[in-house]
Amino acid sequence: MYARLGMVSLTQVGLMGIGGWVTLRLNYLLPLPFEANLILASLATMVFGWILALPALRMRGLYLALVTLMAAGGLEMIFATYQFPNGGEGFWGVKIGSFDPFRGPALAQTPEAYLRYVIVMVTLGFLFIEAHRRLFPGRAWALIRRSEAAAMASGVNVTLYKTWAFGIAGLLAGGAGGLLAGSLGLLDDGTFRSSESIMLFALAVVGGAQYWLGAVIAAFLFRILPALLADWGVDTDLAFIIFGAGLLHAIITAPDGIAGQIMGAARELSARIRGGKP
Amino acid sequence: MIEVQDVTVRFGGVVALNAISARFTAPVAGIIGPNGAGKTTLMNVVSGFVNRSGGRVLMDGTDILALAPHRRSKAGLRRSFQKEQIADDLTVFENVLVQIDSIGGTWSAKRDEVRRMLAVVGLERQADTPGARLSGFERRLTDVARCLVGAPKLIMFDEPAGGLSVAETERLGELILSIHGLTGAQTLVIDHDVELISRICAETLVLDFGRRIAFGPTAEVLADPKVKAAYLGTAEVEA
Repeated sequence: MYARLGMVSLTQVGLMGIGGWVTLRLNYLLPLPFEANLILASLATMVFGWILALPALRMRGLYLALVTLMAAGGLEMIFATYQFPNGGEGFWGVKIGSFDPFRGPALAQTPEAYLRYVIVMVTLGFLFIEAHRRLFPGRAWALIRRSEAAAMASGVNVTLYKTWAFGIAGLLAGGAGGLLAGSLGLLDDGTFRSSESIMLFALAVVGGAQYWLGAVIAAFLFRILPALLADWGVDTDLAFIIFGAGLLHAIITAPDGIAGQIMGAARELSARIRGGKP
Repeated sequence: MIEVQDVTVRFGGVVALNAISARFTAPVAGIIGPNGAGKTTLMNVVSGFVNRSGGRVLMDGTDILALAPHRRSKAGLRRSFQKEQIADDLTVFENVLVQIDSIGGTWSAKRDEVRRMLAVVGLERQADTPGARLSGFERRLTDVARCLVGAPKLIMFDEPAGGLSVAETERLGELILSIHGLTGAQTLVIDHDVELISRICAETLVLDFGRRIAFGPTAEVLADPKVKAAYLGTAEVEA
């Protein structure tokens, strides 16, 4: 969304939490398969995305970032207070001490199969975004990013397309939360701190928000790098120093992020191979 | 035909437009005036970015100020801005296609229309070039092509020749003159370049400090002493 519309929303992790919550809730409530829960959770999160879009239609830049960050903070409080459902009674479905089993996808019962399952889902998500980028919503978003006035003058319904973008962001974040719930079988409020949203956004800039590769690089930095450092016996806080350096690097020399640099290098290379000028 | 009736705009205590009326009948009409005269404000009222305190704007008899800005575009209103509005990461083709994305029609009809208009402005070979790699003039031409697609009725250009060379301005002038024959649309041009205005505009509205000081056939208007006083700043001595 940052890449397409130039809007900064910091509630992504909170939205993931909602997706995870709804997935768990449905899991214990109804005898539906995991996929159905996942889809319903994604749709529910999309509705939350739309609610978030309301302030976004009036605000942009720093103010939008602040509002969405506050929403994330509010969600963080709610998750911390009510916890995630684990098979208990009542609407919140929380019980202390033990939890009921979680039904994962029928196709993927082992962790390895689940990894493949998630990769397929993530690929579908990327394809979904790419389809948007190439079709009319992508064109409308590009023009909105250029200037809202120009978009309106060209017949783009700015309100519709902004809301649409928020809905998709909610849909994907909700799906991600559901997949996380499916992976762990239970969720903990510590996973969905609003500070994580800021970190994710910063890393999206480092990775290159314009490209799908950038999202992969961001995910690598966010999750795998600290784990690697831990494996090597280095203090994992070192990762934050690397993030900081990466962010400075992105801001100073690589506005399209690391992915932009890689793509640029690849283009240059292929041009050289074809014998043309880069 | 476009008709402006008693349009008034106030920004706080400043009267940016003071009961402006004009009935544009020529295929290409001009709006001129010194800086701050209210030319762009008038254009912004018509496109819906500025709310008027009073007055109406009729396009072929319907009051377009009642429509939301993006709906005016569907009704046939087009405009360009002082700075061309080309998205850098879309191709020339896509930048033009945006304009007709939200109206009905088959994909092949839309594609053919975009190609036809790109040919009109002379960019058919750059159709797949991303906006970021265009020159200033090519960006301006893409903007013009975007105004031409989707059966426009009224096209407004806000200082289209800003930053262009003499030869490019001449080319743009020819292009603007051909619009009426091509699409049937009426064109309004704001520019500082009096030479361009007098060459392409059959009638011209002159604004100064939010007031209409002259309106009529361009040659007569430009010969008007009041216009010379306000716009060319020569008649203060005579007055």
